[in-house]
Amino acid sequence: MVGMLPSRALSLSALLLSLAFVGSASAQAATSGPARFPVTEATLDNGLRVLIQEDARNPIVAVQVFYRVGSRNELPGATGLAHFLEHMMFKGTPTHGRGEISRLIELNGGRDNAFTTKDMTGYHVSIAADRLDLVLGLEADRMRNLLLAPAEIDSERKVVMEERRTRIDDDPEGVVYEAMSSIAFLAHPYRWPIIGWMSDIARINPGELRAFYDTYYRPNNAILVIAGDVKAPAALAQVRRHFGPIPRGATPAPVTALEPDQSDERRVIVRKEAAQLPVVNIAWHVPNFRSEDAPALELLSTLLSEGRASRLYRHLVYDKRMALGAGGEYSYSSLDPTLFWFFATLLPGQSPEAVEQALLAEVEQLKKEPVPAEELTRARNQIEASFVWEQDSVFSRASVLGRFEMLGSWRMLDDFLPKVRAVTAADLQRVAQRYFAVDRKNVSILLPAEPATAAAR
Amino acid sequence: MSRLARLGGALLLTATMAGSVPAVGQAAAPLARREVLPNGAVLLVAERPTLPIVVIRVSVPAGAVRDPADGLGLANLTADLLTRGTTRRSGPELDQAIEFVGGSLEADAGRDSAIVTLSVLKKDLALGLDLLAEVLRQPTFPADEVARKIADIQASLRRAEQSPETVAARTLGPLIFPGHPYGQPAAGTVESVGKLTREQVVAFHRLHYRPDGANIVAVGDVTEPEIRRALMQRLAGWTAPTAALPPVPPPAPTVAASSRQITRDLSQTTVLLGRPSIRQDDPDYFPLAVATYVLGGGSASRLYTRVREERGLAYSVYAGAQPARYGASYLVSLQTRTDAVAEAVKLVREEMARMGREPMAPGELELAKSYLIGSFPLRLDTSGKLARFLGAVEESGLGLDYPERYKERIGRVTVEEAQRVAVKYLDPATFSSVMVGK
Repeated sequence: MVGMLPSRALSLSALLLSLAFVGSASAQAATSGPARFPVTEATLDNGLRVLIQEDARNPIVAVQVFYRVGSRNELPGATGLAHFLEHMMFKGTPTHGRGEISRLIELNGGRDNAFTTKDMTGYHVSIAADRLDLVLGLEADRMRNLLLAPAEIDSERKVVMEERRTRIDDDPEGVVYEAMSSIAFLAHPYRWPIIGWMSDIARINPGELRAFYDTYYRPNNAILVIAGDVKAPAALAQVRRHFGPIPRGATPAPVTALEPDQSDERRVIVRKEAAQLPVVNIAWHVPNFRSEDAPALELLSTLLSEGRASRLYRHLVYDKRMALGAGGEYSYSSLDPTLFWFFATLLPGQSPEAVEQALLAEVEQLKKEPVPAEELTRARNQIEASFVWEQDSVFSRASVLGRFEMLGSWRMLDDFLPKVRAVTAADLQRVAQRYFAVDRKNVSILLPAEPATAAAR
Repeated sequence: MSRLARLGGALLLTATMAGSVPAVGQAAAPLARREVLPNGAVLLVAERPTLPIVVIRVSVPAGAVRDPADGLGLANLTADLLTRGTTRRSGPELDQAIEFVGGSLEADAGRDSAIVTLSVLKKDLALGLDLLAEVLRQPTFPADEVARKIADIQASLRRAEQSPETVAARTLGPLIFPGHPYGQPAAGTVESVGKLTREQVVAFHRLHYRPDGANIVAVGDVTEPEIRRALMQRLAGWTAPTAALPPVPPPAPTVAASSRQITRDLSQTTVLLGRPSIRQDDPDYFPLAVATYVLGGGSASRLYTRVREERGLAYSVYAGAQPARYGASYLVSLQTRTDAVAEAVKLVREEMARMGREPMAPGELELAKSYLIGSFPLRLDTSGKLARFLGAVEESGLGLDYPERYKERIGRVTVEEAQRVAVKYLDPATFSSVMVGK
């Protein structure tokens, strides 16, 4: 799924690292023993939130800056601004010319990249811990001093258009993902793709990028997370020195769009010549982390799709032999309510109608029968284990802290596992009945181009 | 959520690991303790006691390079079937057992080796090792599971045809490695996989899942005596067959360049250039690594600067060596809109030629060295990455001091050396090319 766009496709592993962010949760509340890596937090006078986590296991540090701006902050006709601006963050300030920030990081043995989601834009550097000061200086510089030169904007515009072609236009599954969002959301900005519509990318002008930058790239709209082989007091002093002089900006206006209740099922069919295997997606409107039902949805997502023992794999892929792959996806930490996805890639010769019915049968089963205790325990254990694994790198811990701070406070991490443990089989049944209803349902189907194929009838 | 990313990431990274042994190390303590077990398998242990997690990575000489000429995809099918049933548990029972404790147990064949990876919390290590030993030693390859897996692989191969990069790589393989298994598709073809039989799988497993030529890497909250004892208990009967495996011949070091065009109705054209290259044990590897970084390795590289930053012709443009156990390839890739292909390819070929024609600037040399040497610790910052690195170093016979040697050798590369190897290995006239698009 196209949940996040890294700014550079330098390597597959860099992309995977970026993807590892998606909906992750973790860290502090280690399941065994006390928290190993305490967090120091501060808010500078200009509003910058700072989280520092000491971890001396490796002589490296992860420095991540999160801005509270993503595609949800855009408007129709200017979609893709947040992502376009993310690209421009590598294109120079008066002090550091085009590409110079990345060059300096590489010259010091570091790696950098960035990503944009519907909710936020993030910049991350991993580097030898003794180079922290350099990185803080670079991030402080581009927080407020971006050049946004028109010639560079036009050049980068072409790069973003190429990125859109790669990710969406030439990928049938990218197209069907985009189509699903645009039928499921009518009023809310989750309707458009993070990368934006091609016509908007082609049109966006320097003035709009400047205004967007000036609105959102302010210390009071940012979170700085440092995790690694540093001493918190010294690191915080460095942060104050580099970021302290930056003036506070006006508080950005909140996103006011509210998605109206859906009343009927919505469907879309995408036909692409390149599509080799049909894909069936079903997505229901569900609440986010703000709802007391969110932990149950997280567990449902896990028991439906995590691993080969999960329901969708076991039933659709293994037992019924209908699908090559099947799963579900839920974004617990989405800033606004989003979708709970079910998806299946069909085996050759299977009919999309039958697969859709099989996915719906799984939903009906969840509504009808309480989940057996063994299955609930397995899903809990999988979530708890993932918390421990996410502590293995400073990179993943920094990103998890940043993500939860985006929701309100990194301390919400401490509540996550207890909430998951408290969910009962009756809760799962109630939540499935409440949200997997026909008036919340959206269906998107990817078919090969020829309508005459067996699969399409 | 996160575990999806973790499990998926581990698989993909394992697949791309094939020989791309990372750079340099901090001095001080060795990365791991190494010993040869009585049955010939090599054990490497890196203790990381801070978190209660363990990764065990077992590598056996059962990669696609061992596929018979008339059985392409056999190694891949065999590895995929390891977790689909043992003498003690069915496939679903194995899935249930490992997933109930939030762990994962995955088997996957690469070019050179098949890899079985266990990721498990420390408290569940005994269970995890039981399952790991079972799938390695006592897989039963049930007939219905073989049929299922063959159908799944065939469908995956069809789905992969949606990806222009996959189509380009599949087409380029035989141009770089004509007549060598490295040129063949590792998962086979729809046709070749359809003809594979359970008997072939059983025989392949018997011959290739052997301790001589295997290595076992353990990383995490374990001690060397503890993991050694636990493994010896479970792998007691694992001994090498009497007949040694036949040697794999090296691919031809140079091949006449050729080109292919694959027509697809896409808005972009995917361009993939490639030729045979050299492994880490070739003294030229280190200057080539430096030249590669300058050409197309980072965000300050010439290709990135000329093609992406200055001309906006591509989102992704890249050059790099892909060393494996018996040979290596060198790939240059980009994707650009159809009407810009000619300009982009001309720029890329010009930059490749310039690497050999002119000495690089001293600043470029310094940047490459600083990055290659300095970024090493970032490549070993998780248990999974460290396990893959140790396994790759062992498989390629580079030795545990490889990080130190790498650092020292990269540090000594001169502008002249980099130019010399560029003439030898980066001449665009020696590269075959594949284009996928309109």
